[in-house]
Amino acid sequence: MLNSAILDALRAAVDVEGATLPSGLITATNQLQTYECDGLTNMRALPGAVVLPRSTEQVQAVVRICDQFRIPFVARGAGTGLSGGALPAEGGVVISFARMNRILEIDIPNQRLIVEPGVINTHVTDAVAAYGYFYAPDPSSQTVCTIGGNVAENAGGAHCLKYGFTTTHVLSLEVVLPNGELATFGSSAPDAPGYDLTGVFVGSEGTLGVATKITLRIVKRPETVQVLLAAFDSTSAAAQAVSDVIAAGMLPAALEMMDRLSAKASEAAVHPNYPVCEALLLVELDGPEAEVNAQMAEATALCQKNGAWEVRLAQTAQERGLIWKGRKAAFAAMGRISPNYIVQDGVIPRTALPVVLEAISRMATEVQLRVANVFHAGDGNLHPMVLYDQAIPGQEEIALDLSYRILHLCVDHGGSITGEHGVGKEKQQAMGYMFSEPDLDTMQLVRHAFDPHNIANPDKLFPRTRLCGEKSGPYIPHPLETAGVAEFF
Amino acid sequence: MTAALSSFDDLRASLGASLNVASMVERDGKIVVSPQSTEEVAAITSYANERELAIEIVGAGTKRGWGNPVQANILLETARLTGMRGHSWQDLTATVAVGTPWAAMQRTLAAHGQWVALDPLWPETATVGGIIATNDSGALRLRYGSLRDLIIGMTLVLADGTVAKSGGKVVKNVAGYDLHKLMTGAFGTLGVITEVTFRLHPIPAQTRSWSLSSEAAEPLGELMLKVLDSQLSIQAIQLRASSAGYALDVELATLPEVLTLQVAALDRLAESVVATSLVSQDQPFGAREELFAPAGGLIVKATMLPSAVASVSSEVVRLGGSAVTQATGIMYARFPDGVAAKALVALRASVTAAGDGSVTVLRGLDASASPWSAEGVSALSREIKRRFDPNGILNPGRFVGGI
Repeated sequence: MLNSAILDALRAAVDVEGATLPSGLITATNQLQTYECDGLTNMRALPGAVVLPRSTEQVQAVVRICDQFRIPFVARGAGTGLSGGALPAEGGVVISFARMNRILEIDIPNQRLIVEPGVINTHVTDAVAAYGYFYAPDPSSQTVCTIGGNVAENAGGAHCLKYGFTTTHVLSLEVVLPNGELATFGSSAPDAPGYDLTGVFVGSEGTLGVATKITLRIVKRPETVQVLLAAFDSTSAAAQAVSDVIAAGMLPAALEMMDRLSAKASEAAVHPNYPVCEALLLVELDGPEAEVNAQMAEATALCQKNGAWEVRLAQTAQERGLIWKGRKAAFAAMGRISPNYIVQDGVIPRTALPVVLEAISRMATEVQLRVANVFHAGDGNLHPMVLYDQAIPGQEEIALDLSYRILHLCVDHGGSITGEHGVGKEKQQAMGYMFSEPDLDTMQLVRHAFDPHNIANPDKLFPRTRLCGEKSGPYIPHPLETAGVAEFF
Repeated sequence: MTAALSSFDDLRASLGASLNVASMVERDGKIVVSPQSTEEVAAITSYANERELAIEIVGAGTKRGWGNPVQANILLETARLTGMRGHSWQDLTATVAVGTPWAAMQRTLAAHGQWVALDPLWPETATVGGIIATNDSGALRLRYGSLRDLIIGMTLVLADGTVAKSGGKVVKNVAGYDLHKLMTGAFGTLGVITEVTFRLHPIPAQTRSWSLSSEAAEPLGELMLKVLDSQLSIQAIQLRASSAGYALDVELATLPEVLTLQVAALDRLAESVVATSLVSQDQPFGAREELFAPAGGLIVKATMLPSAVASVSSEVVRLGGSAVTQATGIMYARFPDGVAAKALVALRASVTAAGDGSVTVLRGLDASASPWSAEGVSALSREIKRRFDPNGILNPGRFVGGI
């Protein structure tokens, strides 16, 4: 797809003649292979070239070439996405933001900062921590994933129940449109006149262009943080405790639940000293100390009222850290109890939790598989993990089928096919289950206005005709994950 | 308008089967129609789209003067698209039809101690749809965000009659584009919103407001930034400015037993900056609405960074006006007719100098001028409008840049 003239043009776009900097163009096959997948490791495609621009102008130059020759392109941050959002088009261009990783401006009085897309999520917090601030969205890959990727996927995390998602925290964007033109969406000041293009761009999974500069909102650190761990005899009892906490008017920073299987796996992996129980609930409250003290007393009472037989309030930062470590290790820990597993990401109204869990358990029993459940219980975001053994012929297909039927179950209960991992390549078909043709056609109006030639991360997000024998795949730990650099949840 | 008049019987005949024709009248040469369902809205827009008849969409009309005037053949009223479609109070979500007055919705939600945490103008009359189309918000935005953070799903009708849903009924959802964000604040130029799903918040156990007065804006501006930088349970802050002086209003929302502690902390903060004490204040956040109460005058919405609020407030007073500015950096300023033209030019210059804000006229504009600052609208925005509404029938010309 990329002939030598195009490659020369790309090289000229990212390399300054006579400069001694390393080249910004990668074309060697062995090097390109690094970019052939993201966190969804079972889907792979070899790009034709990878460019590593150092400036907005270089990004523009690259995208203009893609526009001129109708070459599909995809932006890439750290490649930690779980739905194949950064999967290249075969023979297309990958724009890596590894070299655009500067924090450009910090404005504490106005609680915002401006970053390039390659900045790592936790580095934003690191930059403002001394002033008592933090960047709220905290996907569990946050020590490696980039803000640019967070913007593309509208990344969430355990604390979005209280603090909102990436979209809540993006004030303004500089974007290279698919025709190479530069646009500014939104402004640091609120309510920029015009359509809310920032709102529609965040979470558009790379299909509307490439962000090159991002203005973020930061949040004052709460005075205190407390974490409660409660053990229940059933997931429905724990779910009722969650509903009661919410109904009492509290807005916890996080409300997480793990079932017996996932707690057991975490215990084996990182030894957080969890009680052995059917459902483990983690309640994190933050805010002014007096407020948190009062609310924690009430939350504890509500857990006990619903049958919690052990409630443990973390007394130190270390104890809090250990509780969270177990929770965050849940995905990777599945390897301890099953040779293979598929991670799903569905959302249901919180009140549907008991009935949906019951149905998942029944569906799993019917096909003789186990499903471990970890969820952001506060906002109804489930991460069922379908456990299976690839060595048993036919079991992978059964597991995959079960994982998709679980998504359909979420939609049937008024929920969504994805709460934070995105649609990407993985859930294209499920979009057709959640949305009707007119809904999808209306989204396509936006897509075509931004990208009439369909070159910005094409063939993602929207359903397409399923090819014969095509299948989605099991969860294979990302190299970063097996190396212990990052965890997903 | 003859085209519209001749279409009236045509429309009545065409829609008679699907529409309650009693809700269709002629007024001032326009067809005025009040559909009762999303399907009826779709029948009307598709009819108008085929014949290229312009539609103006109206709720209670409280903000009808915002934006450019619309020349329409059909007036589509949302007055009969009313009522709650569902309140899943245990899930903290509610779905409501857009013609519902804001306060009526809030009264229903309050039965379970919940609300949509937003304080728009004229809540008793203003409709949910009109508030969304104009993206109105008040001082509560500091704590709870604006409509874009509170809306999780929508049903909308496109110009060609397509009925589409965006988002859903769960708070956490990243499937597909957030069309509901694109619709919020679009002044009805991309589609007719018929139903909307909100995420709800619990109504705080106790809220109390306090004020501080000063003859100068700067110390209050400094205090405002300090309060923003504090860890107090602040719900809303605004700075009032007039020739009589300046006042900073702060609203705390927390548990009753915590409030006393926080008031003491706030008082210490105030003493350290302005050397005066807090005064308890009842309902100061109606000040924004009071600016609009007297007829006439020039009223603008200006946006700026929080750090610029004090200096721009001073400038408004110097220009002969008064203002109410939320700590998020959204100002509503009023100028007497006599000084209006000059003040507008000076205020725009002042806001431009302060950073990347904007000034939009809401009332009292010279008919030939644009409510928005000189800057036009991007080719991309025009293309979005063209894709959604190729015949330009929905609130044509209403929005920035005449889209």
